[in-house]
Amino acid sequence: MPGALKKKGYRKVLKTLRDGKAIWLTNTGPRDTGQSDFKNRFTLHDLSRLMPVYDASGYFSIEVHGGARLHQNLMNNMIHPFEEARLFSARMPNVLTQTLIRSTNVWGYRMYPRNIVRLAVESFLPAIDVWRCFDFLNYVPNMAPVAEEVLRGGKIFSPAISFTEAPECSDAYYLRVLKEIVSLCGGTRDIILCVKDMAGVGSPARIRRLIDAFLQKYPGLVIQYHRHSTDGLVIPAITEAAAAGAKLFDVTDDAFSRFYGHPPVRPLVRYLRELGYDVRLDMKRADEASDAIRGFIRSYGRFESQFKGFSSDVTVHRMPGGAFPSSFEQAEKGGFLDLMPHILKGMSYGNRIIKYFDVTPGSQITWTTWAGILQRTHKEAGEHGIRRLFSVLDRFFESGERLEALSQADENLLLRLYEGATDDLKNLLLGKYGPLPFGWPKEWVYRSVFGEEGAAKAKAERVESSPLSRLPDEDLEKSRAAMEAELGRPPTQEEFVLYLMHPKAAVDFLKFRQRFGDITVLPTAVWFHGLRKPGDQVTITIGSKPHELRLVSIGEGVGGVKHVVLSVDNIMHVFPVELPEAAAARKAVRKASPGKKGEIGATVTGTVWRIGTKDRVLKEGDRLRRGEEVMNIEVMKTENAVKSPLAGVIRELCVKVNDRVEEGQLLASIDPGGD
Amino acid sequence: MGYYRKIFIANRGEIACRAIRPARELGIPVVVGYSDCDALSLHVKLADEAVRLGPSPASMSYLDIDAVLRAAKDSGCDAIFPGYGFLAENPDFADAVEREGLVFIGPSARVMRILGDKIAARKALAASGVPVTPAIEDVEDADQVIKFGDRVGWPLLVKASAGGGGKGMQKLASPYEAEEGLAAARSVAEKAFGTGTVFVEKYIEGGRHIEFQFLADRYGNVIHLGERECSIQRRHQKLVEEAPSSLLTPEVRAKMGAVVVKAMKDIGYETAGTLEFLVDKSGKFYALEVNTRIQVEHTVTEMITGFDIIRKMYKIAAGDRLSLRQQDVLLRGHAIQCRINAEDPKNGFAPSFGRITFLRQISGPFIRTESGIYQGWEVPSFYDSLLAKICSVGKDRGTAIQRMRRALREYDIWGVRTTIPLLRRIMDQADFVAGKIHTGFIDENIAGLTEYEEVEEEIYKVARFVAEVSGLGRNVHSG
Repeated sequence: MPGALKKKGYRKVLKTLRDGKAIWLTNTGPRDTGQSDFKNRFTLHDLSRLMPVYDASGYFSIEVHGGARLHQNLMNNMIHPFEEARLFSARMPNVLTQTLIRSTNVWGYRMYPRNIVRLAVESFLPAIDVWRCFDFLNYVPNMAPVAEEVLRGGKIFSPAISFTEAPECSDAYYLRVLKEIVSLCGGTRDIILCVKDMAGVGSPARIRRLIDAFLQKYPGLVIQYHRHSTDGLVIPAITEAAAAGAKLFDVTDDAFSRFYGHPPVRPLVRYLRELGYDVRLDMKRADEASDAIRGFIRSYGRFESQFKGFSSDVTVHRMPGGAFPSSFEQAEKGGFLDLMPHILKGMSYGNRIIKYFDVTPGSQITWTTWAGILQRTHKEAGEHGIRRLFSVLDRFFESGERLEALSQADENLLLRLYEGATDDLKNLLLGKYGPLPFGWPKEWVYRSVFGEEGAAKAKAERVESSPLSRLPDEDLEKSRAAMEAELGRPPTQEEFVLYLMHPKAAVDFLKFRQRFGDITVLPTAVWFHGLRKPGDQVTITIGSKPHELRLVSIGEGVGGVKHVVLSVDNIMHVFPVELPEAAAARKAVRKASPGKKGEIGATVTGTVWRIGTKDRVLKEGDRLRRGEEVMNIEVMKTENAVKSPLAGVIRELCVKVNDRVEEGQLLASIDPGGD
Repeated sequence: MGYYRKIFIANRGEIACRAIRPARELGIPVVVGYSDCDALSLHVKLADEAVRLGPSPASMSYLDIDAVLRAAKDSGCDAIFPGYGFLAENPDFADAVEREGLVFIGPSARVMRILGDKIAARKALAASGVPVTPAIEDVEDADQVIKFGDRVGWPLLVKASAGGGGKGMQKLASPYEAEEGLAAARSVAEKAFGTGTVFVEKYIEGGRHIEFQFLADRYGNVIHLGERECSIQRRHQKLVEEAPSSLLTPEVRAKMGAVVVKAMKDIGYETAGTLEFLVDKSGKFYALEVNTRIQVEHTVTEMITGFDIIRKMYKIAAGDRLSLRQQDVLLRGHAIQCRINAEDPKNGFAPSFGRITFLRQISGPFIRTESGIYQGWEVPSFYDSLLAKICSVGKDRGTAIQRMRRALREYDIWGVRTTIPLLRRIMDQADFVAGKIHTGFIDENIAGLTEYEEVEEEIYKVARFVAEVSGLGRNVHSG
């Protein structure tokens, strides 16, 4: 995108796309490909070397922000998301910066009320030009607050239709969604419509037919095809999309391309040019970018997915590219990597039972649910149990989804399928995210999720209307005060926005910053591994000034502490470094004893994000009913209620909001009595 | 022929370092004494010779008259310079020095005895026409105090006759406090100074602390070097001093100076000294006391007069005649001194001890540093907390403030908390800049003055991270 065009404003940009024949490209390297193939671990030190190259390369936009990167930046990269966005924006004046926003989930994992959505969008508007927005239910009213804010702010709104291949996902269905989008955005003039094939499952012919249908209906529509490489058919699919009239495609640098992100740019451009398309890209710059990437990409080897290679089975399990490496990582850390093929197979049944699109937060719900089901089944009955489960599911679907067709034992097995369902799955079935795109699941699913007694109540409570209209604005001053209490100082507006997205990660990040400063000045090798042997040194620039750190010595770990001597700008300093084992011992957790009545332990390992309920904050001395929710633990982005097994009075609350807790950790103790 | 064979400096810290310098200029070798914890201190490094005085507690080293005298004699010194604090105002020490045949570089024991007793000093000063606060010197009972208070106005101040440094002082806000306050002050005085003798004077509120520096030789020549303004103080500990005071016109300066000179002639004072005054809101002067020693803040006077006061003390004690006349003393410009103490102003000025892990000293145009510290040195817990003094000078007060701000910005000490951030705030404080200061300034503005954040330099934060990841061999944050 030439800077001159960018300066003329977003309408002029869109007109150029609409009226011209040229094909433009979005490079997703910094964000989506970085997320899908490298767990979003790219350092700003490396990315900043690409900025001038991208700026001169003729891309339409660079996806630099959004998805899980904001969370990852706070949690593991220690990059200030606002600083990163501003840096990209300032260093790339000739291309557009792009984000991916999850409708009402914004960049977090829960439904946000309108006032928070507005605040979050407004805060990033100055640095971000293109706002791609999707909803995992294709429920267009959920996109409204983002659309309004972006369009009012004079930036490019790019509504995305979540795409997959399934019998109910007909052209007619997608056209209905598109119609709602066009109506929300007041026509097709001010938007780029994105067909979001986040799992990489669309067959080339299917994609051509769909885009053709869209353009038949809305000839002036600018369409971008976002497609992950996962199934291996990405280049033919893009070629067909181009033939149908799509003008924009997501790509990445050859040296970044792997299996679950986006296709390599140079072969795609060569092929499209061979077919006669006018593709906007400076190939020399693309060469330069890949050369630069080759110089640093090895640093990220350990963040690549545990399973490598294209994967045609994605067309049935539909795990989106962006969730691939993190799911495998969780499986490895949880010690159930060997169950992954079963979990993926389970997911392919799951998406026929409860129908929505596998993208955040839906993909997390699917993943957590089926990882849970398969682990439980494996624990209870081993490989045999898993084979039996799949065989029951096969027979169930062969019978046309009739429970009656199953034996009593098989029916019971099916009814236990969703036992211990997460709160997020329950909320999904209660309509709290919005109506499901292809209707509510069958009666037995409610019985399985909510139990025989709870099913009827759940169905009665289920709502069809827009969840946004029922979600009251959050009391921002209260949240700000809570943040100030955790942080120990008043937050800036930007820090507050980060807190609204990820309370614990934001506070932890800011505390890290307070202690360790802005580590983005460090070369990637030093960030990951430090200085290895005495005499190793690194020169870094802070502000405009050079500094030099040289490792002098690393002491033996005595009393849980190693003394590291560094020469800092030629002056020796001794830094005591606490060994992780010592730190862990210091923070040793209290376990709830199962025998003791009134000791409530954590049901899962995760983060306590709420004590009490939305309507009742609990404190010591408060009276509890039996079954009342005491706390809620977030794990892998899902909510898990911890309920009191008895009535009584809270004697002690042993954790605070945002504490990380381990399974079995003592959360609260209750003095029994009353009811 | 030099002034002395060798000078013994019976002190430590910045003043010992300061006192070594003019001796060296005059070609006189210098010996210092040191306590155990000062073995590696800067004054030991700078001196020609050093003698161990004893263990770290001051009473066993710097305050041990026998040890000091033995050290001076054994090392062949023929003069002792006491500095301030420790033995500086102890007439018994001055006597002992003379008895041993050494020169005590300071006033005579006789003068110290008069001026060291608050009641005797008041009488002597008043006799020479120096204004003193209305007071009752022989307090018998509370009734007498109440009558006095009703006559001169409340509040009153009870002081220990032998006191100093604010110890044993008791403010009486109203007649109702007279009985108890008097008893309390007597009890403290008894414990601290061995005598319960107290006197009661009118309390000067919202006043300014102004003091006159003077020099006198043994031939009866006395001159003054103008005044210093020392109103920025906390619990009678000065933090910022200036010369001249923006309060004094040349006429008032000449008049008060003449009063000081006459009094010192009458008393028969020899060497340098200071007469302290409180000035009330209406501009009336009341003498507080005479400091019979070099003072911490003597530097500001030096900066605007061009005289090295300690060098003059060395010469006067050797019998030199004061070559200066009053008309030779010209005040040029304005000087400010800030005291860098190892204290945490955010924590009630609690002393802060430890190793100085980093030190960036300052210099640059019109800045003077007097310091007793160096990087790597450990601040001991046994003595007062003064680490260093910095002094700026300019053609006027505003310029001196600008230079001081610049110097304070550059000055950096790590490892101990210091008054530097507080001093930075003072230099920016509107009333201070406008010269609207008084002895209650720090207390009144303490909230705002301590509202600073101690910002660690970014490179050290990053270095802490690099140390962690290097020490552990992996990044425990990147997941």
